[in-house]
Amino acid sequence: MEKAIKRYWPVFVLPTMAAFIIGFIAPFIYGIFLSFCKFTTVVDWKWVGIKNYTRIFFVNGKLDTTFIHSLWYTALFTVVTVLIINVVAFAIAMALTKGIKGTNFFRTSFFLPNLIGGIVLSYIWLMIFNSVLANYSKTIVSTQWYAFWGLVIVVCWQQIGYMMIIYIAGIQNIPGDMIEAAKIDGANNWQMLRDVIIPSLMPTITICTFLTLTNGFKLFDQNLALTGGNPGKMSQLLALNIYDTMYGTTGWQGVGQAKAVIFFILVAIISVIQNKLTTSKEVQA
Amino acid sequence: MKKKVLSMAICTAMVAGMLAACGGGSSQGAAAPAATDSGAAAPAATANAGSGRVYVLNQKPESADAWTAIAKTYTEQTGVPVEVKTAAAGTYATELQSEMAKSEAPTIFNVGNTSSAQTWNDYTYDLKDSSIYEHLSDKSLCIEYDGKIASVANCYECYGIIYNKTIVEDYCTMDGAVISSPDDIKDLDTLIKVAEDINSKVDAINEEFGYELTGAFASAGLDDGSSWRFSGHLANMPLYYEFLDDGVDPILAGEAEIDGTYLDNYKKVWDLYVSTSSADPKTLNSGALNAESELGMEEAVFYQNGDWEFAPLTNPENGYLVTADDLSMLPIYFGVDDANEGLCVGTESMWAVNAKASQEDIDASLAFLDWMITSDEGRKCMTEDMGLSCPFDTFTGDFASKNPFGAEATELMNEGKTSVAWAFNATPNVDDWRAGVVAALTAYTDGTGDWEAVKTAFVDGWAEQWKLAEEAAAE
Repeated sequence: MEKAIKRYWPVFVLPTMAAFIIGFIAPFIYGIFLSFCKFTTVVDWKWVGIKNYTRIFFVNGKLDTTFIHSLWYTALFTVVTVLIINVVAFAIAMALTKGIKGTNFFRTSFFLPNLIGGIVLSYIWLMIFNSVLANYSKTIVSTQWYAFWGLVIVVCWQQIGYMMIIYIAGIQNIPGDMIEAAKIDGANNWQMLRDVIIPSLMPTITICTFLTLTNGFKLFDQNLALTGGNPGKMSQLLALNIYDTMYGTTGWQGVGQAKAVIFFILVAIISVIQNKLTTSKEVQA
Repeated sequence: MKKKVLSMAICTAMVAGMLAACGGGSSQGAAAPAATDSGAAAPAATANAGSGRVYVLNQKPESADAWTAIAKTYTEQTGVPVEVKTAAAGTYATELQSEMAKSEAPTIFNVGNTSSAQTWNDYTYDLKDSSIYEHLSDKSLCIEYDGKIASVANCYECYGIIYNKTIVEDYCTMDGAVISSPDDIKDLDTLIKVAEDINSKVDAINEEFGYELTGAFASAGLDDGSSWRFSGHLANMPLYYEFLDDGVDPILAGEAEIDGTYLDNYKKVWDLYVSTSSADPKTLNSGALNAESELGMEEAVFYQNGDWEFAPLTNPENGYLVTADDLSMLPIYFGVDDANEGLCVGTESMWAVNAKASQEDIDASLAFLDWMITSDEGRKCMTEDMGLSCPFDTFTGDFASKNPFGAEATELMNEGKTSVAWAFNATPNVDDWRAGVVAALTAYTDGTGDWEAVKTAFVDGWAEQWKLAEEAAAE
C-alpha cells in the first residue's frame, strides 16, 4: 500500500493541486497585479504603479479617513465579537455538558440561528431593532454606535451556537479519568476550570478564536443588509468599504483592489499571530 | 488486490472528472465559433442580416420575459442569434463588469448616466450615425460623452408629485379650503398652503369623506430604498435650474462646479415633505416606511415619484384603494419658474453598443435595435409587453404611450410648459455623492445636524467628486 502511494502520489495530489492553483493561487496573484493597474474589466488593464495605494489615503490632495475609519471600526468590532462569542459559547457549552434535562433541545435551539443566511437574518433583526428603537425616536443607523452594537448582536446571535457545538465536542473529549483524578485531589470548581478544562481545551479554543476572528474581519452580508454602511459611510466594515470603492467610485476599481490586498495582508498577519499564540498554550493530555 | 482495484477506480474517477471539466471548457470554446458559423449560414439564406451575433445585457428584471420572447422572434425571422441575459435587481454594475471580461461579451448594454459613460468610455460605440439616434425624437435623451453619442434612451419616464385627485377635490368642497379645484395648484406657495391645510384638517377630512388620512405628504424615507427620490430626483431641480442659468448645453453634460444657487428652494420643498407627513422626522432612515402604500391606502394625498408607480398603484394584486381615476401628477413646483414648469422627463434606461465587439457583431446589434423600434413586433413588445413610453418618431398611433402619467406630461408640454430634463444624469460618482447628501440631509432632519452641512455635501461634494472622476478618466 505504502509503495502504491509512493508511486501514484501525483495522481492523488494533482486534481486538488490543479483546482487550488486555478481557483485560488492564480486569481490571487492576478489580483495583486491588478492592484497596480487601472482597469474596467479584469482583462482590460493599464499599469499605474502605486497610485491606487496612495489614493486609499489621499484623495484630492487631502487625507481621506474613510478607509482608516473602517479599519479601526472593523478591528474594534472583531475584538468585541471574538470576546463575546467565545466566552458565551464556552459558558453555554459548559452548561450543556452537565447533563441537565432537555440538553438536546437547548443545543438545537442555540444552533438554529446559524442555519439562517446572513442577509435574511439581518433583515429580520433590522425590523426588530427598528420597531424597538422607534419608541425612542431612533433607528439602527441613527449613529455609527447604534449600527455597531446592532451588528454585534446579530453576529453574536448567529455564531454563538456554532462555536458552542465545537466547544461541546472539545469538552466531551476531555478524558473522564483526568477530571475524576482532579476531583479526588480536591480541586474546587474554579481550579478545575482553570487548570484542567481550559488547558485541555486549547486546541478547540485555537479553532474557535481563529474562526471568529476571521469571520469578524471578513463580515459582509450582515453589514450590507443591516446598516448598508449608513449613516454616511460610518458603519462600513472593511469588506463593504472595498465593495463600495470597487463599484461606487468611477474608475476606482484598482483602488478597491489595492484595499483588498491590504485587507488580505492584515487578516493573514493577525490570524498567523493568533494561531501561534493559542497553539503555544496547547498541552498534551 | 481489492484495495488496489479500489484505489485505481478512485484515481480513474478523479482523472476522468478532471478531463471532463477541461474537456467541457474546451468544447465550449469550440462550440462558440461553430454557433457563429451556423448563424452565418442561416442569414446567407435570408440575405439581409450579417454574420454577427447579438447579446443584450438587460437591466430591468421586470422586462426579462419580454426580452427573451422578442429575441426568439428576431432569431426566427432573421436567423441572427440573440442572447439575452438579465441582471438581478441592483446588480447591474457587477454583472456588467464580469460579463464584459468574457470573450463573448454583451454587445448591447445599459449606460444610463455620465458616470457610467465614463466608466465604459472605451466600450461605447459612437451611435451618432445609428438608426436609433436618427429616430430619437428628443435629441436630449441620450448621453454625450467624450465627443460621441455613448447611449440612446429606449424609453422616457416622467416624475413629479403624484397626488390623489379625488381627495383634493373632496377637500375643495370643505369650508375654508384654500383652493377651489386641484387645477388651482400652480405654484410652490399654493402647494405649501394646500398641503399644510390638509395636514391640519386630516381628522375633519377623514370624518367627512371616510378616508384614512394620516398626513398630506407620504413619508419621505431616507433609507437606501427611498432616499434616491430626494438625493436624485428632487436634487435634480436645483441642478437643472442652475445648469440652465449657466447655459450648460446639453443639460445632461453638467458642470464641474456648482454654487447651490437654488438650495434654499430645495430646503423649502424638503421641509414641506417632512412637516406635512405623519412620519417621525427622527426615524426616516429606518427602512420601515412605505410611501407607495401610504398613497395607495389613501393615508396620504401627495407622493413624489414617477410614472413607473402607476402599475403597482393600480395593480389589483396589491390591494390598494386608489384607482386609476384618482391618480394625477403635478410638476415638482420649485418656486423658480413655476408658471412654465412641466414634469421631469428623462430616463436612465439607455442602449449602448459595445465598441470592442467585432464589426459583424456591432452591425448585427445595430440592425437588431433598428428592428426593435421599426418593426411591429419590436414596437409592440416595447410598448405593450414592457410597458414603456418610447422616445422614437416611429412610435405613433397604436404605439404611443398608454401610461396616464406619461399622457399628463404630454398634455403639460402641449400647454406650452417646459419639461424639466434629468440634469442629475450628470452627477459625478453618483453613489458617493448621493451618500454624502443623504447623510447630511438625515442629520439635518433628525436634528443632529444643520442645513449648512447639506449645502457643503451638495456643493463641495459635487466639485470633489467631479475632480476625482475627471482624474480617473484622464488616466
